[in-house]
Amino acid sequence: MHNTIRIIDKRDAPKDAVMIFGFPDVGLVGVIASSHLISELNLQEVAYVDSDLLPPITVLHEGLPHSPIRIFGNHNVLLAVSETVLREDLVYPIMHSLIDWGRSKEVKLMISLSGIPIPDRQDLEELKVFAAASNPELLKMVEEKGIEILKEGYMVGPQAVMLQYCATLGIPAVTLLTQCFFNYPDPEAAAKVLERLMGIIGLKVDVSKLLEKGEEIRLKARDMMKRTQQELMKMKKTQEFDIPLYIT
Amino acid sequence: MESRKRRAFFDIIDEYFERFEELANRLEEVFFEKPSWNCKTCTIEPLREIKVTPNEVIVTVDLPYAEEKTIKVIPVGKDRISISAEMKRKVSFDDFGITHYKGEFQRFHCEARVPVPVYTDRMEVQFKRGMLEIRLPRKHEYEIPI
Repeated sequence: MHNTIRIIDKRDAPKDAVMIFGFPDVGLVGVIASSHLISELNLQEVAYVDSDLLPPITVLHEGLPHSPIRIFGNHNVLLAVSETVLREDLVYPIMHSLIDWGRSKEVKLMISLSGIPIPDRQDLEELKVFAAASNPELLKMVEEKGIEILKEGYMVGPQAVMLQYCATLGIPAVTLLTQCFFNYPDPEAAAKVLERLMGIIGLKVDVSKLLEKGEEIRLKARDMMKRTQQELMKMKKTQEFDIPLYIT
Repeated sequence: MESRKRRAFFDIIDEYFERFEELANRLEEVFFEKPSWNCKTCTIEPLREIKVTPNEVIVTVDLPYAEEKTIKVIPVGKDRISISAEMKRKVSFDDFGITHYKGEFQRFHCEARVPVPVYTDRMEVQFKRGMLEIRLPRKHEYEIPI
């Protein structure tokens, strides 16, 4: 096997599920939110990514090796999460493989959870969540749920590839972006994005523990955040601050 | 007109050195990677960010569990500041689920390199919701060595 990405199934995945994505990005919003979902919903490992394109890393849990990119799930939710930052050149192949896998499981909606960095984040008491979607009907749906639309701008990272690829394939997809710190783990932003996710898919998750454990999470997530920062710089993540030139 | 030209020239030089410093800082991080904790000194290195604006340098440091009264920001030489704080509770490797290292941490410590000349005696420090913010006014004077 060379230069391939395989997704190895460990158990049956449900059909018509909602597939959620949480990858290392600004504020580690998606990863923190995903980690909370896994423990609160008691999600089980459904599949994992195996590839010689990935760095030679295995994640040990209870002494056993695990792929850094795994898919968890229950009867109606699938959740793809990465415990290592994706190298810039791997974002496309990994995201495409995960979406193709989700499509083969007849996923009905894909949602990525992430953040949108904002200067002076520490002065904000109330965080806003923005959304972008793969088609106008979905945009209308999220707007009706009270979520503001990210109308113009740039999106950089796994969630950008996910949204674009889903739009190309005609798969319903939404990206939720909460205002957050650029370079610091942001559990408050993760709680906020989960609240909005619950509003969209009717899921019930208690986020109070996430807020209570905020300081602990910030301390634990420092090393992952540091490595993510390095990769975000290579990805030109700061382009999200740019004002786009509108071409209609 | 002449002074505008001269200022522009110095701005270009200034910008060049800022970029060079930024690159040097990045290289330092890449080539001198080390753990973010130190068992000997029982300290954890916090995440930090340095932003250079036209008038000031803003250093932010994430200090979860920090006891506000114990925060110390001390200038070290002309271009570094030392930041330390005691933690409200001791944290051990066990708390992170790690059993192959042993050690307890009760303090944050780091040194931040300030990439441009600043007035360290006029710095302003603010601590809000676990986030430390240090504002250092920039010096816009040029020393020409003879």
